[in-house]
Amino acid sequence: MSEDREPTVIVKTVTRTVVPLIALTAIALLIKGHNLPGGGFIAGVLTTTAFALLYVIYGLDTVRRDLVTNAGGVGLLSGPTQSYTRAFAGGLALAFGSGVAAMLFDVPFLTQAVVFVDGIPLYGELEFASALAFDLGVYFVVVGSLLTIIAVVGKE
Amino acid sequence: MTSTVVIAPLLVALGTAILALLTRRVPRLQRALSVAGAGAYVVGVAVLVRAVRLDPDGRLVYRVSNWDGPFGIVLIADPLSTLMLALAAVVSLVAAVYSVRFVGREGQRLSYHALYHLMVVGVTGALLTGDVFNLFVWFEVMLMSSYVLVAFASDSDATRAALQYAVLNLLGSAVMLLAIGGLYATTGTLNMADMARRLADPTAFGIDPAPVLGLSALLLVVFLLKAGVMPFQFWVPDAYRAAPAPVTAVLAGVVKKVGVYAVVRLYFTVFAAAPLTVSLPGISGGPELGFLAFFGPVLFLMATASAILGGLGAIDQPDMEGLLAYSSIAQIGFIMLPLAVAATAAAPAVRTVGIAAALVYSVNHGLAKSLLFLAVGAAEDAIGSTRLSDLGGLTEVAPVLSGAFLIGALSLVGIPPLTGFFAKLLVFDTAVRAGAPLALAVALAGAILTIAYVTRAWNNAFWGSPGSRVHAAATAARTGRDDGPAVADGGHADAADDAHGTAGDDLATVASIADPVLVGCTLSLAVLLVALGIGFDPLYAAATDAAAAALDTEAYVRAVDPAIAGDAIADGGGTGGDQDVAEQLRALRGDGR
Repeated sequence: MSEDREPTVIVKTVTRTVVPLIALTAIALLIKGHNLPGGGFIAGVLTTTAFALLYVIYGLDTVRRDLVTNAGGVGLLSGPTQSYTRAFAGGLALAFGSGVAAMLFDVPFLTQAVVFVDGIPLYGELEFASALAFDLGVYFVVVGSLLTIIAVVGKE
Repeated sequence: MTSTVVIAPLLVALGTAILALLTRRVPRLQRALSVAGAGAYVVGVAVLVRAVRLDPDGRLVYRVSNWDGPFGIVLIADPLSTLMLALAAVVSLVAAVYSVRFVGREGQRLSYHALYHLMVVGVTGALLTGDVFNLFVWFEVMLMSSYVLVAFASDSDATRAALQYAVLNLLGSAVMLLAIGGLYATTGTLNMADMARRLADPTAFGIDPAPVLGLSALLLVVFLLKAGVMPFQFWVPDAYRAAPAPVTAVLAGVVKKVGVYAVVRLYFTVFAAAPLTVSLPGISGGPELGFLAFFGPVLFLMATASAILGGLGAIDQPDMEGLLAYSSIAQIGFIMLPLAVAATAAAPAVRTVGIAAALVYSVNHGLAKSLLFLAVGAAEDAIGSTRLSDLGGLTEVAPVLSGAFLIGALSLVGIPPLTGFFAKLLVFDTAVRAGAPLALAVALAGAILTIAYVTRAWNNAFWGSPGSRVHAAATAARTGRDDGPAVADGGHADAADDAHGTAGDDLATVASIADPVLVGCTLSLAVLLVALGIGFDPLYAAATDAAAAALDTEAYVRAVDPAIAGDAIADGGGTGGDQDVAEQLRALRGDGR
């Protein structure tokens, strides 16, 4: 986005409203993903679109300054690309680890288990699926790799 | 669970790749992990080879995520896949050690080691999987990382070669997906064993085997593209020139052989089961030949073209890498030739010999060609060029490296007692046993061409008086040795131009201009070629076992799933699949509760 053409107030306001909604939808898809439409991949892509929207409307530098650097732990790292690659490697390790963890229980690689907890007040039944760990790994791989591409290509 | 050994090599390679990614900021640790991971991979493969050998059935099956075939993905280790895995393990270990010296700090920052191990992951998966779609996935894993590795040098040549390589292989992947989709639509399954079972008795499952012929021909194009057989060879020279030497060694030594493996596995184990009479002009294919009556002549033509035209192309190359790349095309013809003869031979004995010949030749070519590429890489590292006009007299300045190169070259030609001799002998033996004079003539012509281009490479690069660049490198190496190590840690000894003025010093004082680690890697492969040639029996036994395993469709089906081999699914056809999946899902949910 060139300097002389600032995005309009409408676009900025819409972005501000839409980005949290996209993030929320992404999280919903991630959690539901193991047995309903959704999953780590599509949640990751959605999250990346939220980031891409911010990049386009607010510019690369603002996002880096306000979101990536100031947001707690990630601020320790030297640049956004670094933290994205780290997310990528960490996600891959998480997905791999979730598969290997199954082997500790003497079942084949990537075997998944599911636990249902009944009688939770207000919510009712809660489902804990081990596939979520794998999905989370996929999520981080997708987010990390797509954002690396956007950040690197966007900088060019 | 004993069958955990089946997935062990895959997990080791994948784990190494992830660790290499995580340790990007500690280059020293990353290098150590990369080599340790490659070593662990060899151990994993060795354990698997032993386990398969000890297994009474000779086949180990692993059900990933505990889902049964034909719906879940199964991994199968049998003598065929373990033989190829053993080749992959040896070459990838040597190339990994070589990479540590060859790829500089900058290369390491670009995730060289992670990509390298991901490529090994792809190879391992493709060799182990028992599912056609999963095969596609592993091919992609292998190719994705190889795209980057081919483009690694990042200059204009490498980028052009990588672009060409990527576009061609993406096209190939699209065709592969199309063929696999068609196979699924026709046979109603993606599991190789289940597909073989259904094709063996098409009427019981309501399958028309005729479309499978076309689809498998489409699939063959993809495998031959990966293997670099003649009409699909044009990406080979550029990609091999562009990629770093250890990557080229793995591409030529291992990745190509995955294409060969896929042809043997799918066409001889799976598609051969279909009873379909194919009649082509001049070929009297009975029903016992089935699909192979069609693929035999096709493979024969391609093998002939590869062996002859590849050999002719290699003679005329101006640089070593180009020569070796064309030689790879020619040698893949030698691998395909016995397969073509085996496909048209009805006698099981000839078929076994033919496949064994192709496998032994694959092992020989995998080791010898990796050796040659590594040796040329070591020479380039010291001299800065691989053009034949710049080389010459390498025997004087790099005697050990030259010796290793000579062994690899002689093995390619097929001189006893090297492995290459037995490989060529088996190819000729197959042709004679099958009574195929044409195949014999092609093999003979190819062998003569091999001698021609190998002689040219040796005469121009290794014998004669040292060229000016060689001389300069030798002088630089000597002065460098006086005041410190010749090659900086991981750096390239591109000192040829710096010391050009002092050329003319006494060469005899220089022991070797090449980096000792690189030479050591090359030498280890040469030792292996000699050892396998002198003690050829175990390799021959392994290849024969592998060939027998490839042809025993029934045992393959039985190993994957005793249930699907025993009872035929009553509802039959391609329509039952979805229902069964739904049932399994319900059962799984019920268990959880």
